[in-house]
Amino acid sequence: MHVRDLTISYGDAPVLEGASLDVDKGRFVSLVGPSGSGKSSLLRAIIGLQKPLSGNVETGLARSQVGILFQDDALLPWRTARDNVALGLGFHGMHRREALQEAESWLDRLGLAGFGDRFPRHLSGGQRKRVALAQVLALRPKLLLMDEPFASLDAIVRARVVQDLVDLVEREGITVLLVTHDLNEALTLSDVVYLLSHGPRARIMQQYSVPIPRPRDLVRARTHPAFGPLYERLWSDLSREVGRENPAEAA
Amino acid sequence: MALDPKRAWIRQWLTFVVVLLLWEAAGRANLLNPLFAPSPSEIALALFGLFSSGNIWTHLEATFTAALGGLVLGIAAGIALGVVAALVPLIAELLQPVMTLLNAIPRVILAPLFAIWLGIGIASKVALAFILVAVLMFFTVFTGIRQVDRKLVERVVTLGGDRWALVRHVYLPSVAASIMGHLKVAVGFAFTGAIVGEFVAASRGLGYLISFAQSTYNAALMLALVMLIMAVVLLIFAVSGRLEKYLMRWN
Repeated sequence: MHVRDLTISYGDAPVLEGASLDVDKGRFVSLVGPSGSGKSSLLRAIIGLQKPLSGNVETGLARSQVGILFQDDALLPWRTARDNVALGLGFHGMHRREALQEAESWLDRLGLAGFGDRFPRHLSGGQRKRVALAQVLALRPKLLLMDEPFASLDAIVRARVVQDLVDLVEREGITVLLVTHDLNEALTLSDVVYLLSHGPRARIMQQYSVPIPRPRDLVRARTHPAFGPLYERLWSDLSREVGRENPAEAA
Repeated sequence: MALDPKRAWIRQWLTFVVVLLLWEAAGRANLLNPLFAPSPSEIALALFGLFSSGNIWTHLEATFTAALGGLVLGIAAGIALGVVAALVPLIAELLQPVMTLLNAIPRVILAPLFAIWLGIGIASKVALAFILVAVLMFFTVFTGIRQVDRKLVERVVTLGGDRWALVRHVYLPSVAASIMGHLKVAVGFAFTGAIVGEFVAASRGLGYLISFAQSTYNAALMLALVMLIMAVVLLIFAVSGRLEKYLMRWN
């Protein structure tokens, strides 16, 4: 997937200006940056929820092959977990019975066997997140966009959901573009990390390659010799960026 | 002494019985003029008379048919217009002022007009119940759809849902909640419409009976009819309560 010279504006000054990035097939790429740097807008532009002012996005994929996961699980509260997962399959013409079977197998794969009849209200935060993941993965996307999807989970649940996701993504060869402000998460998960500058008129500042081998265990990834120096570099670049726009905070 | 909320119904019934007994006692002690305030036993007798003579059934049937007809048609029309107005801006622009005006006036003043247009048969009562319910439901649905959770809309769109999918999976279920909340009001409105319509011009129905009781200065019959209407509405509340519980089981 290629993004070329993308500029996004909500009226006055552009939030994001001239952003270009490449996401190679099967790679896990993260976008890191201070709040207000247009990370989310970039994802929204890629999936077509936000019309860019200029520039273009080339995924080389049909719209149905791109999935997106938001920070909120946004499950339909009036549908059971199984129905929620089957929803997208139905939109793509799968018959109901088949869709429900497929949904069940995805719930199974994400550790939610036996929870298919529950309404979202009766699931925990981590379980809802898994349902939302199943909902998106059931459509077998080639490209998965994620906008800080795990921010609302507590540390332990988060670690387990993320590990399951990574295993699945590695196995299925799904390309991922993740927006996060968690450097740790970005480095342990990604092959490539892009750093965005402070908005408005945010730009893509840096690109880092993460040489930690796959398949990855997220806890062990942190002890890889490349992790520490890369983390420090990313951290100092990000702090400098935050400090440049906001001297008080840096001091 | 702390009040146990679970026993509230005992206290409520006890008070009710005490009030009835006091009222009855006052009547028997000749403290009340039976012409204006007949005692509970006289009202019960009048009520019994209505049923034992058997001619109440034709009146009940007339009122029920008009009220339920107006209720069903009014709900259907209100939902249809509300959905269309919420999805098509032009329709909203045209409908909203009309509905606002209809909402602002006491709609029962239309009863004499409907009697002229549609005659003294059931059609004019259905029309009055219909207009009362339809305007209420229009606003319920229209504002309900406008306040729909944007995140759910985006979720369904990104899963590949079209406009119809949005209506079916997001808009209708979310307005169903507000419709359920207003269903009891709508039932009350439907009976108001039917009975006021009969009151104005009719040859059958509870409203006609009330107007007959009034012209013959029969307060006992009038109060008996008020009790009967209360019983009818309570019955319908119980049914709609069941329906609400079933449809809202995800909540």
